[in-house]
Amino acid sequence: MAQVHFEDVKEGDEIPQLKKNCSTQQLVLWAAGSGDFYQIHYDKDFAQATGLKGLIVHGALKNAFLGQLLHDWIGEAGQVRRFGCSYRGMDEPNQDILCRGVVTKKYSEGGKHFVELDVWTEKPDGKKTSPGTALVTLPSKN
Amino acid sequence: MAEVAKSVITDEMRAAIGKEGPSTVLEVEKTNCRMFARAVGHTDAIFFDEAAAKARGYRGIVAPPGFLGTPIFRPGGAAGVPGEMGGRGFSVPYKRVLNGGTDYEYFPDAPDGDVICAGDAITARTKIVSFEETEGSLGPMLITKRETVYTNQHGKIVAKMYGTVIQY
Amino acid sequence: MADEFEITDEMRAQIGVDSEPWTYEVTTTSVRMYARGIGTEDPIHYDVDFAKSQGFRSIVAPLGYLGTPVYLPGQNDPTFGFPRRAGGPRLNIPMKGLLDGGTETEYLDVICAGDVLVETSHLADLKLRDSARGKMLFITNESVYKNKETGQVVAKQRLTSIHY
Repeated sequence: MAQVHFEDVKEGDEIPQLKKNCSTQQLVLWAAGSGDFYQIHYDKDFAQATGLKGLIVHGALKNAFLGQLLHDWIGEAGQVRRFGCSYRGMDEPNQDILCRGVVTKKYSEGGKHFVELDVWTEKPDGKKTSPGTALVTLPSKN
Repeated sequence: MAEVAKSVITDEMRAAIGKEGPSTVLEVEKTNCRMFARAVGHTDAIFFDEAAAKARGYRGIVAPPGFLGTPIFRPGGAAGVPGEMGGRGFSVPYKRVLNGGTDYEYFPDAPDGDVICAGDAITARTKIVSFEETEGSLGPMLITKRETVYTNQHGKIVAKMYGTVIQY
Repeated sequence: MADEFEITDEMRAQIGVDSEPWTYEVTTTSVRMYARGIGTEDPIHYDVDFAKSQGFRSIVAPLGYLGTPVYLPGQNDPTFGFPRRAGGPRLNIPMKGLLDGGTETEYLDVICAGDVLVETSHLADLKLRDSARGKMLFITNESVYKNKETGQVVAKQRLTSIHY
């Protein structure tokens, strides 16, 4: 992607979407990468014994997906200053998880150019499962 | 009108607000940066390839967003995971717990801040920011908010994590 | 077709042909993760100060752990992690089933966190067996690991895979 600049962006713009679909294998990779080995994410019998329908995707992995959504958009000269989300709805493996973001505010301060966004993951039916916000800086064309 | 549930916040808990707990060391290395990046599905070479990261001006392989290092594992000991689900410490009558969400704040600007890279040893210190009680569809809930500050081996602040835990 | 598979001279000619080298890294986090996976509690694999007090450079890699291959998306197998690199055997294997047939490791030195190893591998053996499941192909690869800094060989490993 070409480098996005502060001037290219306006409030209300949606940033390029990132589509994820976790295999159970990816959930095991994430367990190794994050150190969270809670069995509800890879042991179906265990998950069901806790009352869940089946395996669920780690909330923190969805958070990290939103991190990738932002990182890929801001380009080499941008910086992620703050991002995060709440884990409101559960997502399951082998189902699309769409990561999306919309610009809510832009401003310059102290020589830096800030962009605020709403970010979230959503299920195929459009239900938002992890709503959150982000703050990034972008380079200016000037 | 429904009876208001009895508060579960003790004086001990109130006294803990704002006080920093013991620090934890997290290690950021090439192998764990790559593992995290691979698990998320990142494609940017700065999370995998040292030469690519250095060519972009970084000290080494960059820790992907959300990755703050691996705590030093001690068999048989406490996991020592700062923030998120670790270090709750207080016994409340609620049996169930949910991770309410996590926010990360980064401080990449010199001179006081830095970008987290492979080779860094990060020290994490957590404090409780607030206790809040509400009544929701799940019944009475205790919402605990924590803040963890991460500094690197050069004393630079590199990140803060804001975590919310819901007990109900 | 798996049933008609035969080992050819062309395949056998690849025995002993070395691959391009690949870097394997031994880090404190990966040593501890491997040790934790085994379930060992020996502090020699976890506690750097303890390991140094015992005369080692750092925590010791548990037996069997020879570092983690540098993972670059598109260049490593996403399931098994091994590097897909130039050189090394190219075998067209029609069998869909895969099992680990065994591992043999020879040590010439102690491997510790902080070590960077350079590994090359070559095809060492090919065997075809008939079984109730049909034909089974046993492939043995041998890897040689050198310490990048000293150039010394520190370990060799033979891995056998069974394709059925």
